[in-house]
Formats: sequence, structure tokens, C-alpha cells
Amino acid sequence: MSFEHINFPVFGQVDYFGKQSQQQLQPQQQYTPSHGGKKNTLDPIVTGTSIIAIKYDKGVVMGSDMLLSYGSLARFNSIQRMTKFGGNTIIGASGEYSDFQSITTTLNELVTDDHCMDDGSRLSPEEIWNYLARILYNQRNKGNPLWNTCVVIGYQGGKSFLGKVDLVGTCFKEDIVTCGYGSHIALPLLRKARDDNPNMNLEQAKKLIEDCLRVLFYRDARSSKKIQIAVAGEQGIDISGPIELETYNWNSGEAAVKNFSQV
Amino acid sequence: METLKLSALPEQSKQQPINHGRFEAYVDNGGTVMAVAGKDYCVIAGDTRMSDGGYGIQTRHYTKVFQLTNKCVLATSGMQADTIALQKRLKLMLETYQKEHGKPMSTPAIAQFLSNTLYYKRFFPYYTFNLVAGVDEKGEGWIWTYDAVGSHERVKYSSQGSGNQLVIPLLDNQVAKRNQQIIQGNGDVSCDQVVSFVKDAITSAGERDIYTGDFADIVVVDKDGVRWEKFELKLD
Amino acid sequence: MINIDFDSLEQPTLFDSLASDVKYLDKPHFDLPPNSNPGDFLRETFAHPNAPKPLEFAHGTTTLAFVYSGGIVVAVDSKSTQGPYVASRSVKKVIEITPTLLGTMAGGAADCSFWERELGRRCRLYELRNKELISVAAASKILANIVYSYKGYGLSMGTMITGWDKTGPQLYYVDNDGTRLHGQRFSCGSGSTYAYGVLDSGFKWEMNDEEAYELGRRAVYHATHRDSYSGGAINVYHVQRNGWKKISSDDCFELYKKYYNIAPINKPTN
Repeated sequence: MSFEHINFPVFGQVDYFGKQSQQQLQPQQQYTPSHGGKKNTLDPIVTGTSIIAIKYDKGVVMGSDMLLSYGSLARFNSIQRMTKFGGNTIIGASGEYSDFQSITTTLNELVTDDHCMDDGSRLSPEEIWNYLARILYNQRNKGNPLWNTCVVIGYQGGKSFLGKVDLVGTCFKEDIVTCGYGSHIALPLLRKARDDNPNMNLEQAKKLIEDCLRVLFYRDARSSKKIQIAVAGEQGIDISGPIELETYNWNSGEAAVKNFSQV
Repeated sequence: METLKLSALPEQSKQQPINHGRFEAYVDNGGTVMAVAGKDYCVIAGDTRMSDGGYGIQTRHYTKVFQLTNKCVLATSGMQADTIALQKRLKLMLETYQKEHGKPMSTPAIAQFLSNTLYYKRFFPYYTFNLVAGVDEKGEGWIWTYDAVGSHERVKYSSQGSGNQLVIPLLDNQVAKRNQQIIQGNGDVSCDQVVSFVKDAITSAGERDIYTGDFADIVVVDKDGVRWEKFELKLD
Repeated sequence: MINIDFDSLEQPTLFDSLASDVKYLDKPHFDLPPNSNPGDFLRETFAHPNAPKPLEFAHGTTTLAFVYSGGIVVAVDSKSTQGPYVASRSVKKVIEITPTLLGTMAGGAADCSFWERELGRRCRLYELRNKELISVAAASKILANIVYSYKGYGLSMGTMITGWDKTGPQLYYVDNDGTRLHGQRFSCGSGSTYAYGVLDSGFKWEMNDEEAYELGRRAVYHATHRDSYSGGAINVYHVQRNGWKKISSDDCFELYKKYYNIAPINKPTN
């Protein structure tokens, strides 16, 4: 694809009389098959809810549920919302799932190119995170945002990485990252746990993430109890299989029902 | 980013109803930056809080001060994504300049260059509020203060961002000695005095502005280069 | 025969489009807002329910210029406002385009300073190409053509271009609609109506220089007194046969004391 046709307003070459524009009539948007047929994501349709992640002493843990909602409908209930890129990065996404699939395609091109170089150098999680931030920022500049908040975790060269990017391109690194309802419900829990135990180990971190997802399941109407946990640490990167969360034992309600008749 | 020729308006906008849906192109991540220039130095302060556009805090460790050369820094508040884009763009251009000319760009030239860079986005502005601070070729400290589209002025002190309106009257009074009933002291103050004054000012801004807090970067620029210092603000 | 549209298969991926965007990064050009008319973009964007605080550009002003027997006097205030906030009290609103040409700043501060700087560049190029100074008529027309070509893009500027060329002292008014007027007396900006009142009542063709300076200064002073968006210091310039000269810069408050000769209660000491 070429951008040669674009006439930039260059100083000193002002096209006062529109001569150039008469010579070459250009379509306004390149990738529009028929004019007006292209629609941008201006509202998310099929969405995933929060992603939460925290650093532990030798790596990072990220957790998400596996539900995709269609408005208030629980549309798909067993979809993985975290993807591996290369050997040391995992990205999890909340928001519009189709946009995340598009991001996945783009980043896979990048990672494949990097692999084909075969130069012994691998893109670091931070580089992938930075690249992702540029993609999202560029798309917002075009008024065609990729409606996701992405959490990037990784481990390379003895260093763990945890970063976040949102749909306008805001990007930062932190020790605890949450998005969506996670920022309201899980973040305080994660912060407290980390303050109480700054050097938590993998098991503790996993349990913490599980606990937070459980609380999210209780209060976030768009979440489910089928979850996955991703780990990036010394042993490499790994996304667990589906885990069914142990939730409150609602059978105890039977007692209330029995007692009800006595009141 | 759509780039278009000069003369005609985009036709698309005439044909289609404009529907941005729920999408907001701009977010204000808040924060305060300020700078005071002395005879041969500059002191710059910026808090490190990044809000989510509402009452939430995304991170407490986002530094708003960016070193451009070893005589010049840029302090930016406003939208973080635009800030990063602006910083990357300036860095690229300054590196190109350095390679083409064999010397870094002078501070006054950077100031004008930033103005132009902002104005090139006149129709789709960066949501950023900038200060350039540094020493010029003669070693004198100066601040340049900007609006979002590149209107700029060379001054001796300024502030930008969410706490701007709280800090500026303090600077007017204490740095420029304006509006004082009894004027105290003279214009010559040492760098250390200014550093401690700037710390007080940014702490005060943090007390009264919800978007300012956590930590502050205190940066001193003089003929020897750029020195950084971390300073604690309140976390509430 | 059935024609099947395979266009969608030809579409470049996100990766392709990103790679080609980088190509023109270092060429100076204006970025335009997506899916929107540039003139309406900011208003629409900040009309959204969750939009951040609208961007306020530096604005405001009283500026005036008039021709008299001794040349042209240009007088301006120095206050710059972003909404109700006073962004600066020390703006240079007389823009020194070339050593012989002056422009003034009213409306968007960035628009005026950027385009009048660009005008200065083009005037210098004209000088180098033609081995003579550009006429004020030509210079003002360059500016008018530029802003006219951006009509509807939301530029905001009202400016007077003045100078002394081989046809004598000349004064032009150029604004963001592309209007370009030749005249004897102009005033521009939010305080212009007040300034016109004083200027028109006090004007006569034959004045000595001091009288002319005082007329300009007094006209802007009275505008700053009644218009909240004007104030700061009043700068007076004189366009003479061999170029312009800065005459004075007086704080409004000093002029207040001078004109009314009364000390206010709780007088500040500076």
C-alpha cells in the first residue's frame, strides 16, 4: 500500500486554486472497498471483562475469566482471552474481542518476522508492549480505535515485566495492573496483599489472583467463574487450562429455607 | 492519522453523519509541572501521579519530565498517550539534528521547534501542556511556556497542568515579587533555595489538587548538565 | 458472467498500514482529525459527556493601528487569556515580521504567531529573489491567501499588517475569513469597540509624533479599563520611513494613576 497520493500541506507550496486536487481525485480512506461501507469500532460489541495481574518475587501472574459477553448476554463461556507471543510474552485483553484478534494477527506477524531473522535476538516483553502501544495510539489517531485494554506480562533475561496499554494508547509499567471492574474491586485487594507480603512466591500470587477473580465473579455481572491463570517466570511462560473457581457453597441456603417455615 | 491536502475539506464529513459513538479521543491524565529559572540554572518539578481521567489513579510512578539534551528538559502534563508521542517525535528529530549538525540543538531552537511541532497538530491537537526549561548558549536559565497548539513565551518561571492555577499566584508573588505590600529580598537566590521553594510549591499543589500527588521529580539543569532528585508527596 | 468482488481480500493488514505511515513522519505537514471536519472537530469532541476539560487556546486582545501625517502608530495590550484564566500579562502582541513590517496579534495566539512567522519567511525569500523589499500590499495578500486557503479549518486571527514601502505608509487588516482591507484606522479584538471610541474621537491627520503615540496609548488604555480580556502593559510602536521603532511599554495601572490622578485604596506598591 502506498501513501504517495497524499498531498501534504507543505509550506511554500500552497495549492491556492486546488489545481492538484483537480488533477488527481483521491479516495479519502484507502481501505474502503465501497465508499461509506467501512465502519470503525465506535462501540464494543462482544466484550471480555477485567484482567488482573501482579508481580511476585520471581515473575508475574495474570488472571482472567473465559467469558465473552454480547451486551448483557453471556454469549461465549469458554474463550481464552490471553495469548502467547514468542517465547516470553503473554498478552491478556479486555474489551472488544474481535479487535484483540486483530492485534493478535498483527503481533504474530511481528514475532514471526523476528523469529525468521534467526539472529539469536528475541523481542523482549517490553518491546512488544511498546509496539502494541504504538499500534493502539495510531489507531486512535485514525478515529478507528482497537477497543481493548491490554495487559502485557513477560519474563526475559532474569527480569519480569508487567505493563498495560489502553485504547487511546496510554501505556505504563507497574507492579500491579488491573482493568475494568478489576480497577475498582481487585486493585485494593491486590495492593493490600502486596503491602502485607512484598515478596510473595508463585503459589501465593496464584492464590491471590484466584481470590480476586472470585470476588470479581461475585460482584461483576459480566464475569464468570471459569478462569485461566498465566504465569511468566523463571520456568518460562505458561497459560493454565480452564479452572472452575470454588465459590461460596450455596447449599447452606437450604437451612434458611427449612427454617423459613418455622418463622 | 488522516493527512489531507490543503485546500478542500474532507468530503467524507459532508456525506456521513458524524458518529463517534462512545469513543473519546482525549483523556486528561492530570498532573502538575512547574519550573523556575535562575541566573545560570533552572529548577523543574513535576509530580508522578497518572490519573485515569476520573478519580482513579493508574500509576504513581509516571515521570512527566523528559530530558531532551543535557542543557534542556521538557515537562508535560495532560494526556499521557499524546505526551509519549510528542516525546518520541522530539527525540527522533533531535537525534537527527545531532547527526546532521554534529552538535545538539540549542535550547532556544528546541523551544521554537516544539512550538512548530505542536502547531503542525493545530487541527488535531496534542492534549498536552508543556514547559521547556534549560540554559541557553550563554549559560543563562530560561523557561518557555506553551499552550496546546504552540503559542509560547519565554519567561523566568511558569507552571502547567491541573494544579497550574494554584501554583502560578505563588510563583508570581514569591519569584517575581509581584503584588507584595512589602517587597522582601532581592532577585538573586541560590539554586538550593529555589529547589526547596519548588518542593514547597509542588507539595502545596498536591494538597489542593486531586490530580497531583504521590512523588515529585525535582530536576536541576545548569551548565554541568541535568540532575534528578525524587521527592515524596502525599499518596492520598 | 458473474463478477465477484474480491476487494476485501486485497485489503492490507494493520501491519502494512502502520509501516507505510512512518514514511512521512519527518515531513512537515498538518495532521487532520479523523472522520471530522477540522473546523468542528474540537467542539464536537469536547461536547461528549465524558470528554476532558476543553482545550483553551491563548486568546484575547485589544490592538489598534492608525495612519497619520508622521507614519503609523501601532498600539496593543499584553494580556493573554485561556477562558477566564489569565495565561500571561506580558505577551508581545506586536509581531516583528521583518525589520520593515509589523503585524499584530488578535484571536488565537498560536495562529497569529505561527502564520506571521511564516509570512516573515516568505517576505525574506521575496527580498532575496527580487532584490527589493516586499510591498505591504503584497505581504498582506500572502497572509490573506494563506488563511483563505484554510477557511473552515477553524483558524482564528485578526491582524493588522503595517509598514512603510515605496508607496508610503500602508496599513492592511487581514482576518481569518480571508478578508483583507486597506484603511487608515483599524482596531481588532475584544476591546476594539472601546478603542475605536477613543481613537475616532481623538484622531486628526496632522499630529506630532508624541500626540499620536498618546492617542494610541490612551485608546488601548480605555479598552483595557472596560474589557476584562485586555490588560497588562500597553506597547506602542511607530512605523517610520526607515522601519519600525518601539516607543514605549507602560503598565495599565501606572496609566490609570496618570490619567485619573487618584490613588486607589490599599494601593499596591508596585
